[in-house]
Amino acid sequence: MAYLISEEANDLLQDVREFCENEVKEQCKEFDRSGEWPKEIYDKAIEMQLHSLEVPEEYGGPGLSRVDVAALIEEMAIADAGFATTISASGLGTKPVLIAGNEEQKKHVCDQIIEGGFGAFCLTEPGAGSDAGAGTTTAVKDGDEYILNGRKCFITNGGIASFYCITAMTDKSKGVKGISMFLVDAGTPGLSTGNEEDKMGIRTSNTCDVVLEDCRIPAANLIGQEGKGFGIAMKTLDQARAWMGCVAAGIAQRGINEAIAYGKERIQFGKPIIRNQALQFKIADMAIKTETARQMVAHALTKMDLGLPHSKEAAIAKCYASDIAMEVASEAIQMFGGYGYSREYPVEKLLRDAKIFQIFEGSNEIQRIVIANNTIGR
Amino acid sequence: MDMTEYKDIVVYIETADKSPVKVGLEMLSPARKIAEKKGGKVRAVLIGDGIRTAAQKAAESGADEVILIESPEYEIFHLDRFANVMESVIKEVKPYAVFVGGTQDGKDLAPKLAARLKTGCASDVMDVKTEDGKTVYTCPLYGGTVLQDVVMETSVPQIAVLRSGAFKKSEETVKGTITEKNIPAADENIRLKIKDVVKEISETVNLEDAQVIVSGGRGMGSRENFELVKQLADLLGGVVGATRPAIEDGWISRVHQVGQSGKIVAPKLYIACGISGATQHVSGIMNSDYIVAINKDEDAPIFEVANIGIVGNAINVLPVMIEEIKKKKEAE
Amino acid sequence: MEILVCIKQVPDDSVEVHLTEEGKPDLANITPVVNAFDTYALEMAARLKEAGEGEITALCIGGEEARNSLKNCLAVGADHAYLVQEDRFDGSDSRGISHILMCAAKKIEEDTGKKFDLIFCGKEATDAALGQVGAELSEMLGTGVITNVIEVEFAEGQVCAKQETEEGYRLIETASPCVLTVTKPDYDPRYPTIKNKMAARKKPIGTIKAQDLSVLEPEKTGEGGAFVKTLKLYEPPKKEAGIKIQEETAQDSALKAVAMMADAKVF
Repeated sequence: MAYLISEEANDLLQDVREFCENEVKEQCKEFDRSGEWPKEIYDKAIEMQLHSLEVPEEYGGPGLSRVDVAALIEEMAIADAGFATTISASGLGTKPVLIAGNEEQKKHVCDQIIEGGFGAFCLTEPGAGSDAGAGTTTAVKDGDEYILNGRKCFITNGGIASFYCITAMTDKSKGVKGISMFLVDAGTPGLSTGNEEDKMGIRTSNTCDVVLEDCRIPAANLIGQEGKGFGIAMKTLDQARAWMGCVAAGIAQRGINEAIAYGKERIQFGKPIIRNQALQFKIADMAIKTETARQMVAHALTKMDLGLPHSKEAAIAKCYASDIAMEVASEAIQMFGGYGYSREYPVEKLLRDAKIFQIFEGSNEIQRIVIANNTIGR
Repeated sequence: MDMTEYKDIVVYIETADKSPVKVGLEMLSPARKIAEKKGGKVRAVLIGDGIRTAAQKAAESGADEVILIESPEYEIFHLDRFANVMESVIKEVKPYAVFVGGTQDGKDLAPKLAARLKTGCASDVMDVKTEDGKTVYTCPLYGGTVLQDVVMETSVPQIAVLRSGAFKKSEETVKGTITEKNIPAADENIRLKIKDVVKEISETVNLEDAQVIVSGGRGMGSRENFELVKQLADLLGGVVGATRPAIEDGWISRVHQVGQSGKIVAPKLYIACGISGATQHVSGIMNSDYIVAINKDEDAPIFEVANIGIVGNAINVLPVMIEEIKKKKEAE
Repeated sequence: MEILVCIKQVPDDSVEVHLTEEGKPDLANITPVVNAFDTYALEMAARLKEAGEGEITALCIGGEEARNSLKNCLAVGADHAYLVQEDRFDGSDSRGISHILMCAAKKIEEDTGKKFDLIFCGKEATDAALGQVGAELSEMLGTGVITNVIEVEFAEGQVCAKQETEEGYRLIETASPCVLTVTKPDYDPRYPTIKNKMAARKKPIGTIKAQDLSVLEPEKTGEGGAFVKTLKLYEPPKKEAGIKIQEETAQDSALKAVAMMADAKVF
């Protein structure tokens, strides 16, 4: 089973699979060790336009449905979750503009992506994680400019993005209602990036601080209106979460693939270990979880495509897919026995990669709040 | 068509540095076999300049007649010119079959002749035999996992490109005659102009005659590690071989390539280091007397053909082997 | 500049082919792909086109399933694609295939009113590895052929190509039209971009039947027309696997192997 996709997307899937097999899967092993951002791999992905799948058709994107795109993103995640995260986080960085930006801003960011750039979304601060309202980054209007000051942290693509969507307080007295969203191009004086995080997993993606020191931007770079930033950020995350679920499901699928391949090959007590029903059941449970996660992702994305409310579905997809990605990765390691614990083999990486999906873009505790609120009502 | 008047076998013997190439002389033994069945003669053809010694060698290696065509115009291989010469020789001799050695130029010449003479051509022939009066050629398919027996009895001459290393040079010493022919280069059908012949790789590597070959594949990991392969080859007085991936990664030049698209080898000892054993490679080493394989993947197909298979990383295994063989050699 | 690239669909050559119980190649579970050398040819043609101008036509002889291969060609540089689809051509040998390609090239030229300047082929196919079609086709077209090409330039009707040799290369010139057979150049073929692939899906693939070929000599084609006839297919005898050594350490394995080699007196 997989995503139910168009014939067209199925064709593209073959190409993406071939690309990932030849250019990503093995290559990323080395970068997982070094933690280096594999520019050459991303350059090839850009050349193939894998980075611009989410750009709307009217702005030069391919015009695929979200479920079609999900099938392709999952394929990337199967090869390397960090790779898929970079691609998907660029979509995240673009969403505030697509949700609330004006025509000019939309064109501006989409053009940059089409030309090979990445986007980054900057909400989290050292003192404001789940509690986004506690942010201290400020934006002060000065004539036809805003001056931004503050520090954002754990920013995916922070060091390699072409543009940033940044939340900042335009009115501290109003709490979250005082947050606004700004579009800042890379290279703007006053914007710099801090040290790259030495992460546990998704090591082929770039994560770092983004620092704003008297960063002056044109007032026209305000996305939407002043005070609407928090709402835009929440809508952004509502969409983006489903994509994180998609990547997490990809990690789980890789776990299944590796476990089956190893189970067929590993001989103990004179037969391949996969002939043991205990291990067959293990694979079955892994499949139950992964397929359920995938279809939840598909459901959230379909609702998004139909323009229907999808907060709850996206939160379930992200929360469930990341929880089961951890479980499935762990079971894959178990299947490998001692070899699974060795870095020579591909499964320990899956567990390291999976963990972050329970944390970022709203921790799974926050997801449960979202789900509860949407289920219980206020 | 009355085939009985076609009896002879024409063997085109390519020369390199004024000597017959190995496959050129090897072809004389299957040619003799077929010629005897047909009651015809083996007629070798050599085209070049200053290659009388090579013709002599061919005459001593199993050809009844050596047709020698010399001219400064034939000093370097020119597909159109050589095809013209061969065409005119073939039309005169009217052979039953034409054998061409499976060198790069031979592989071009044969189909060109086939098209001109409106006849069939078999490529990469590994064996030639006679069944029910028909000449049967064995050719590989799919990199050698499948073999195919073909016949070409509906046209003459049948043209076959014989694989280098697949036939043993004849031991018998028939003293053939040498006939010099003067075939001036015709202007007809000359379409190519060779502007330059550039030698980029100066080393000469004789894999085909090597008694010992130590080959490295992608499993060697890097150019530095590939040095281990060279060290072992040196120690054993052997020749260095390589797979296509190792060559594509630039660890060694392509003259070292072993396999279907490189050289087909048959040494007494073949050591495969970090080679998984793709069909294209394995089919080129199958005639080796003794194969040692080192690979970290215990399921690598190379182990299926190896006399000794060492499961382990070649980078760790080779230094120990080198030291141990050194010791044993010194003790001798 | 009008370029024709002849392609063949072959089973993925990274998968081992064996025979079925009936003695036929078992290709059921092997993905058909464009012959690797043909993809190099198409890439070389695409780079030549991009450096100058012109159009690339991809041509394939095969069944319905070969459309997919042609579609992939349309996504990586080909502007037009034609499939010669005719059951009676099955079993053609190299002469037959070359003849059909020649006829199809002429047919496309008649239809478009444009002559091909360059005709590219891979140097051989990965399945049968005969490497005959380029040379045969050039003879039938009455043009020059440069084989094993790794680089090519085209200007004012003159083609200049680098032919890879064992020791280096030859620089060969010929007049267009001509046939070029391509070996692995320094670069890899591109991946299709998402948008090109989507666009390629919408491009038509022309179908050519025997009756469309005005200069066809049917007696040269198909199994009946083949000079080279297959008697039988079989698998080579398997060499018996020897001893596998897997000691605790690489050191122990190496020592054991050397001892065995010494016993066998192989060095």
